[in-house]
Amino acid sequence: MKKKLLIVEDEKNLCVLYKEELTKEGYKVTAVMDADAALELVKKHKFDLIITDIRMPVKNGIDLITQIMALRKDIPIIINTAYQSYKHDFMTWAADAYVVKSASLDELKSKIKELVG
Amino acid sequence: MSELRKDIISGRWVILAAGRSKRPDDFRPALLEKKEAPAGFCPFCEGNESKTPPEVFSLRKKGTGKDKPGWWVRVVPNKFPALNRGTPPVRHDEGIFQWMDGVGVHEVIIETPGHNKELSDLPLYHLQYVLDTYKDRIISIEKEFQYKYVHVFKNKGKDAGASLSHSHSQIVATPIIPKGVNEELYGCERLHRQFGECIFCRIIHDETRIGDRLVLRNDHFCVATPFAPRFPFEMRIYPLRHSPWYTTLNKIELEALAKTLKIVLEKLKNVLSDPPFNYFIHQAPNPNLPHEAWVNLEKSFHWHLEIIPVLTRVAGFEWGTGFHINPVTPETAATFLRA
Repeated sequence: MKKKLLIVEDEKNLCVLYKEELTKEGYKVTAVMDADAALELVKKHKFDLIITDIRMPVKNGIDLITQIMALRKDIPIIINTAYQSYKHDFMTWAADAYVVKSASLDELKSKIKELVG
Repeated sequence: MSELRKDIISGRWVILAAGRSKRPDDFRPALLEKKEAPAGFCPFCEGNESKTPPEVFSLRKKGTGKDKPGWWVRVVPNKFPALNRGTPPVRHDEGIFQWMDGVGVHEVIIETPGHNKELSDLPLYHLQYVLDTYKDRIISIEKEFQYKYVHVFKNKGKDAGASLSHSHSQIVATPIIPKGVNEELYGCERLHRQFGECIFCRIIHDETRIGDRLVLRNDHFCVATPFAPRFPFEMRIYPLRHSPWYTTLNKIELEALAKTLKIVLEKLKNVLSDPPFNYFIHQAPNPNLPHEAWVNLEKSFHWHLEIIPVLTRVAGFEWGTGFHINPVTPETAATFLRA
């Protein structure tokens, strides 16, 4: 059975790119552009992994992770951000991996493989 | 009338612009901190051990297992560290520029399993566990010779740099001696040559005799506001027994330090309405390494703990000049803190 991934990314082009690339890798991918929409999906569906950006309008990725953890502690989460600086925030520890965005998706793909196979 | 004062060890000058603030309460509007919203989840809480890296040390109840609930104090490596453990880094030169690999240790000491307990709320035996843990981790890290300096510090409150309200301290070990520590070491060495005694021992003696900046003194420790403090209500805890290293504290002294620190933290809380603060230990570099540069290190340096309530902002003047403007004299601060 295909593993289900939820991507939370406020930049439309990246959202499309991640969805295409990870679908090619054999995952069933749902992509949303804001944290509240992601939270609603997590309440209703069972995902195997969540990949979230941090800097997003309205609600940031750290608040989203905190709320997801309050609902379900067992979902693996990857933080996928353009910024190293959020590593200083210990709330990021709720995530299982921290990936700094780059042109290549190799690191992201390898972390996904590590966490869900 | 303002006053310029010089810190004898660092040579740094401060401007004491006293008179603007009459009461400790005058600082409250300056506090910009917003109370943290209750977190739905905290990776430091008991029961969430799986969200941290495996513990490297813990003080826990008998019969409880590693990385399981049942602990009082737990130490874990930083999950996403800025520096990574490794072999001694090689220094590279690129013309006038120098760099080396980011080798170091970054650990987090989770001081209590409960989310809402502050360090000052902990019973004395538990506070002593935290201070014992500092000692244990410093000794352990100093066995790795690539780390010249082990820095123990605590940030409490968002304005003091804490990203999580769950009470914790941090340890960062670096392959170089930080500049601020180096300056203090050289200052102490210079003053030891000048006066023929440890400058901190002299400070303890003089502050006790004068009394104006003394906050408290017991059989093992002395707490005073420094003569030239950078920040309002800045305090220092000095051990009465001369030693350059925190790790030389014995059981009785650790117990006394727990009592002293608890009183100091309670005073901060009561006098300044629970301000954000930083504290850190300044001690001599890794004793397992040779220190040719400081001939009298064992005699000239005296470890101590510095506490800095975050009540003012460091801004352009301070960054640009190294001068700090402090609106409260240390004598006034000590008067409030003694009460």
